[in-house]
Order: sequence, then C-alpha cells, then structure tokens
Amino acid sequence: MRLTVNGTEHDVLSPPLTPLLHVLREELMITSPKAGCQQGGCGACTVLVDGEPRRSCLEPLAALEGASIATAEGLGTPEDLSPVQAAFHEHYAAQCGFCTSGFLMAAEALIQHGPVTREQAAEALGGHVCRCTGYVKILDAVTAASNGEDAAGRVEADQGPQGEDSVTPIPGRWG
Amino acid sequence: MAGSVDAAEVIVAQSPQEAVEAFGDGGMTLVGGGTIVVPEITHGRLDPGRTLVLGRAGLDGVRRDGSRTTIGATTRLSELEDAPDPLGIAVRHVADREVRGQATLGGNLCAPPGVESPRGDLQAALIALGADVRSTGAGGQRTDDAEAFVGAGDRDRLVLDVSFPDPEAGARQAVRRPHAHAYTVLSVCVARTAGAVRVAVSGAGPHGARCPSVERAFAETADPEAAAARVLDDVTPHDDALASAWYRSRTLPVLVRRALAEL
Amino acid sequence: MKAVGARVPRYDGLAHVTGRSQYVDDVRVHGTLWTKAVRSPHHHAGIVSIDTAKAEGMPGVHAVITAADVPHNVYGHLEALGVPADEPLLADGEVRWKGQVVAAVAADSEVAAQAAADAVEVVYEEREPVFDVRTACDPDAPSIHHWGSVYPHFGPHNHRRVRKGDVDRAFADADLIVEGVYRPQAIEHVPLETQVSLVVPEPSGRLTIYTCTQAMYFSMGVVAAHLEWPLSKLKLVGGTVGGGFGGKVDTATETICALLAIKAQRPVKWRFTREEEFLASSTRAPWHVEIQDAVSQDGWLLGRRTLTLHDSGAYSRFSPYGLTKHAFHHTGAYTIPNVRFDGFVVFTNRVPTTAMRGFGVTSVSLAVELHMDRIAEQLGMDPMELRLKNANRIGDTTGNRVVMHDPSTVAVTLAAADAVGYELGDEYRQMSAQRRAGELLPEHLVAQQAPEGEHLATYDPTRTNGGTD
Repeated sequence: MRLTVNGTEHDVLSPPLTPLLHVLREELMITSPKAGCQQGGCGACTVLVDGEPRRSCLEPLAALEGASIATAEGLGTPEDLSPVQAAFHEHYAAQCGFCTSGFLMAAEALIQHGPVTREQAAEALGGHVCRCTGYVKILDAVTAASNGEDAAGRVEADQGPQGEDSVTPIPGRWG
Repeated sequence: MAGSVDAAEVIVAQSPQEAVEAFGDGGMTLVGGGTIVVPEITHGRLDPGRTLVLGRAGLDGVRRDGSRTTIGATTRLSELEDAPDPLGIAVRHVADREVRGQATLGGNLCAPPGVESPRGDLQAALIALGADVRSTGAGGQRTDDAEAFVGAGDRDRLVLDVSFPDPEAGARQAVRRPHAHAYTVLSVCVARTAGAVRVAVSGAGPHGARCPSVERAFAETADPEAAAARVLDDVTPHDDALASAWYRSRTLPVLVRRALAEL
Repeated sequence: MKAVGARVPRYDGLAHVTGRSQYVDDVRVHGTLWTKAVRSPHHHAGIVSIDTAKAEGMPGVHAVITAADVPHNVYGHLEALGVPADEPLLADGEVRWKGQVVAAVAADSEVAAQAAADAVEVVYEEREPVFDVRTACDPDAPSIHHWGSVYPHFGPHNHRRVRKGDVDRAFADADLIVEGVYRPQAIEHVPLETQVSLVVPEPSGRLTIYTCTQAMYFSMGVVAAHLEWPLSKLKLVGGTVGGGFGGKVDTATETICALLAIKAQRPVKWRFTREEEFLASSTRAPWHVEIQDAVSQDGWLLGRRTLTLHDSGAYSRFSPYGLTKHAFHHTGAYTIPNVRFDGFVVFTNRVPTTAMRGFGVTSVSLAVELHMDRIAEQLGMDPMELRLKNANRIGDTTGNRVVMHDPSTVAVTLAAADAVGYELGDEYRQMSAQRRAGELLPEHLVAQQAPEGEHLATYDPTRTNGGTD
C-alpha cells in the first residue's frame, strides 16, 4: 500500500482492515491524531483524506490506496504556524490539548470555503468533543482564522515577561 | 491491531462487476464507508473473516432518470444532504460532518441494530418514499421495496442501488438529538407520492417500519391528529438505553401528527 | 506581578497547536507490551479460584499477575495521612464491584493480551449486591465489607460530624420546619485521554513510569508502597494530561503496569478502552443529602440538621476527604447559628467513586440552593431576599466556626440579580458584606458573631453556645 502523509510517500505494511488511525500512530509514529474512543465519537483522530476531514479510526486502510493524508504535524511548525494554528494559539483555544489536533484538521478543511459564522463553525465541528469545554475559544479561533485574521504576528510579539528585570519576587503574603 | 484483522481475507473490489462476483452468494463482511464495521472490529465484537471492501468499487453516484432518482449503494451521505425530503432532512441529521462524508446509504440501510442504539436512521425515509432496493446475493439479483427489504432483516445482501420517484411533498419529525453522535431516538418520515401518503418510523424497533393504519386513517379523514392516534397499532416501541418504551409511546403520536401536518 | 492583566502565551500552547505535545500514549519505547485486565463480571462475589496456567502458556504472553504477586496489596492514597485503606490492588478472595481487577496480563499485542485475559479462569460465587446508598444502611442490607456498611475512621467517630450551637432549641423555637432530600447522581469524567501509563524497566534497576496522573507525588507514593520499593527507585514522568477533571488522581494503571514490567522485564503499557473508562474508571459520587431547617416566619434560618450519605462505591479511596469538604460547606453561603451535621461514607457495589471538580462541594451546594428555594416557597418569601438576609457577613462564623473576613455572598447575589434584571427591594439592594448590626443582628445571631478583628481560626469556638466533636 502506498500512502502519502503530509507530503511524504510511505510504503505501508499494516493489514488492509487496519484503521488509518492505527497505521498513523503505530506504524508511521505520527501521533497527533489521538485514540480518544476509536469508534468515531470524539473527533480527536480527525485527519484530512484528500482534503476532506475524516475520522481516521473509522477509515480502513484498504479504501485509501494512493490517498493523501494530512495531520496536524503537516500544517505548520512552532516557528511558522498555519493560520488555523496561529488562531488557536492566539485565542487560547487549546486547554489540555488532546482534542486540539482533531479540531485543527476539521477547521482547516472548513475555512478553505471562506469566512464562516460561529453558527456554521459550530455545525461543522459539532462532532468534536472538548471535554475541557473550551468551545467558546475554539469558535473564536475558527471564525477568526476563516476571516483571514493573521494572529501569528501578535502571538510572536507577546511572549509574556522576559528577562531579569521582569521577574519580580512574589511578595510575602501579608507583606 | 486486532488479530482478526491479521487473519482477514480482504478483497478490494475495483468495479461493480468485481464486487458482484466477489460477493457471490454472500456470507462475507461488507465494508462500505466503514463507520459501523471498523469500530466493531477494533473493539473485538466482530471477526471480519472474508471481507469485501466497496470503497473503490464504483457503486456510488446519484442518477436522475425522468422523475426518478437512483442512488448508488456506496454514495456518501454528505452527497445526499440536498436529496428530496424526507431523505434530505434525515441525512442532515445523521451523525456529524466527518461521519456523513464517510458513511454510505447502503450501509445505513443494512445497519444491524446496535447495542442499545437504534441504527439505520434513513430506513424510515426510504420506506416513506416508497424506494426500491436493488441487491444481489444468494438467488441472484432482485429488487424489493424498502419496506420489504428492511423488514425481512436479511442482511446478507449486497445492495447495488436505491431508487424512488420524486415525491410531491415530504416531511420528517424527530426527537432532537442531544449531540451529533447520538443516534436519533425516534423519527417519523412522511411523503406524498402520486397522491398517496406513506408514513414510516425509525427508532421504535429493531428496524424502520411502515405505518399502514396511520396511512389509512389519514387517507379517510385527512386529519393528522386522528391518523396519528393509530400509530401504536402499527409499531410497538421498545426500551433501550436511550429511551423507554413508555417515552417512545407517548412521543410517537406527537411526531406523527406534526409530520403529517407539515405535508 | 507583570503577568496579571497581561496576555501570556500558554507554556504548552505551541506544542498543542502543532500536534507535538507528547501524551503518555505517544511515547514510543521499543518492545512495549500491552496490558489487559481480567475484570469481575459480577457486582459482588466470592472468588473460589483463579487459574492463570492456560493464559501464561499462550503465544506472546510475557506476564500474568494476581493478588499473590503484589507485595503489599491493600493500600490507599490517604494512608500516608493516617486514613486507613481498604482497597486491594488486585482482588483477593472477593470482588465488590463489576469491573474490579482480578488479574492482569502483559503480551506482545493488544489482541494477544485480550485473548490471554479471556483465558484466565476465575470461579466466582455470586453474592447479593447493594446499589442504593440509602438501602445500604438498612439493618437487613447485605454486608459487603468487613467494616460493615460505612467507612469507620473519622477520629473517634464512624462518621463526619459538625456540631454548633443548640440545634434542638432552634427547632423548638422554629415557626416552620422545612425538609428536603436531594440526590445528585454519579458523573463520569470522560477525559478524552483514557487512563494510561507506560512503565519501562531501566538497566539500573529503576522503573521509569510515564503517567497521566494528576497527582504525581500521590502516585509515586502509592506505587512505591504497593511494590515495597524505595521512592529512589522510581522515576515518574508526567505533566501532560489529556483531561483529568479529578478522575486521574486514582493511580488507576501505574502500579499494575509496574508489577507486570518487573515480572516480564519489558516495557509495559496499559491504556483503557473507552468502554473501560466508562464502566471501570471511578466517577463522581452519587450522594443522598437530607436537610431539615428550623425557620422563623420572617425568614431567618435558625438551625439545620443534615444527614449525608456519600456513596463511596465499593471502596473508600478519597471519599473520607470528599465528605469532610462536604461537611465544611454544608451551610452553603449562609449563616446558620445552630447546626448538626452527620455524614457517612457508605459502601455499595458500585464502581468506587473519586474526586471531581469541586469534590464533595457541588453536591451540598446543589442541595442547599434547592433547599433555599423550597424554604422561600413555603414561607411565601422572595427566594433572593431570603438568601440576602441570611448571607454570610463579615464576623459571621461558619458551621465549623471559621470566621468570615471577606464573604462574597451578598455581592455575588446582587450581581446575579442585576445580570438577569431581577427586582429587589431597596433594603436588599443596599446590602453589603458589612458586619451584622441592627435589624440584621437579631438575638439568635448574636452568639455566633465573632468579635471585631478576629480572623480565621483564631476565634475561640467555646464562645458559641455548645461544644464541638
């Protein structure tokens, strides 16, 4: 089986009924898609198959001959975030982070069609669970990214307290 | 991965002809979109054995022929969101965007009842539309109406396509799902085709069912309320983890009345 | 203080949004074995025999363990704090909940491990289970624990007690007695990352434990105690948790993985399936809270009697702690001068319960707030005004005689009223947290009020009417 993942072509040896999630995580060591439920119910394993968001835990390898897969690792790097990643970072849309890769991939597919409203984003991402319940910030991020707001610059400029002068000792409790 | 996956004998059909030949008299595990079968294998509830994968068999696509629509068995649900109601609206309420992009019409039609979950939420829509189901398997090809196909419970068939005449009107009423991943607890589909109204229910039993008593009462009285009152003559709701028979029995006439009133 | 008010990027934010955060399940160690558990299919049963011979002989199986393999089988997270434990790591002679781990297997693959776990032969002798926390306290309820139906270690008592003032007199003086029973139910945490750990035996003889625990030092102590190993031989790696919400304080998988890793001398991983997470990981406890309030016709809370039954499930885990927090909060945000609280940690044949956000407190808050509405309804009084009148104020003492120096009840209640456009009388709208005086300091509240300037626990409890346990 030939499978292209994040632009790299792989010869894949897993048996044909192996779910794509397992191929990615256990054979190719690509771990951003998470095994949250392995029955299509949480969204944490969502990847793009030929540009469309899919639950990788539900896709048998056999149906994917020659397909092109994209995961969060392929979107951007910490130094050069993609627009969706930058928006998630800027809007604090990741809390524990376990659902984040799945949300990112679904959002990446969604914003290809242009700006979306919060309602449209909520409908499109309705199958994804964020158990930290960070949905407000996730919708903020997705709508911002779809509007082309380039959040990356602002994040880079705002790295919090830096340097010795900024480190103020914490005063004593009654001090 | 599951040892049963290592042992499975898998055929990936590359054409409709190949799929029909490989299926032969049946007795195989069929993988359409995979949304039901794959997790069953993952969690050890299904040993696939001989398996036919249909994803590349070319059994998909929607064809219009005069006033009739024919839908290939492996057509993804995402391509049917604009189908005539009640099918279109029912499709839009199946799972979520990703799952609809993967799940197939044939898979939904043939879905076995799940553990405490009323699968097959499109069965009522297809029954209400008076759809014909063309399938192959033991005894060769045949065409059944959706009501007979679903009711027979014979799942050892390879569905080729589903077709139905354009309805004049259609409607669907359902218990609202709490989340995109919840199966629809109960839904009622109605359609008027060539002047006749068909009524069907999903979620009240192991498979979708037609409601002839309701249809007769509606034909005689044209009164949604009077017709809806007959629905428990046609189906006997069951208990499962999602809802009790008591709840379903009280909700069902309301849904039938509302759906008929919408026509 | 430069972080306050500033937008500080999350320290793990970039890793999260680029898919590079490494959770336990993402750690890759060559030769890792999979774990599967043999779980009790019964809610309550004696174990007649366990035969692991067939499982041990199966292909790909490297280790099988039962209670006999655990150096120190019964241990609990609170034991180091002097709270005796009751839960065996692996069931020994008896199972008390459906899903309790009887044995565990490590094998080359998930499938091989499951096949071996299925091949462990356990003979059970079913016993009558009890599921309801109230009926568990009936005299004829089946006994499911050597301690009986309740966890018995609360200092000199078998339950958590709070005593303040003269509650019997308050009830004698009451114009109205309002009673209610409140039963918040169990809740599963459902972290997207199920319980998981990976234990790697190092050439040095130490164990490296990759863990999703929320409580690193608890977990380290618990693993060391079960193994009877010094802490110096354990290295725990964690901190990236895929959702916990309280449910990952239990050290659910680490110790069993460690024992298997030692026996097999191979890295061993155990990741719960989603089904296991639902059926066998601990939940928030169901509670049974009975409240009786002595109330005056003009809306004062004169006294409260509370009986709480905390459904601990089959073992106590953190329940004594949760119940204690519950006791602290049992008067809610309101000042009640005379209270008697009795709370029991009750055993049932349900999955053991544990911490969840607001451990022990959300249950009593729900009960108290529902009860306040019930009182208001029976008095024909505005429910917000009832709350404001009885709200904690500076100098008031709680049921445990903590002196309030900055209570927020009044401010929060007024803000909530404003937020929904709730109309209140002027005398209520002008309220603040200031010390009670005048009409807001009726005779029955005088004794509970601490002198001006008293802080926190500095107040002498004997100054109130009555003593303490």
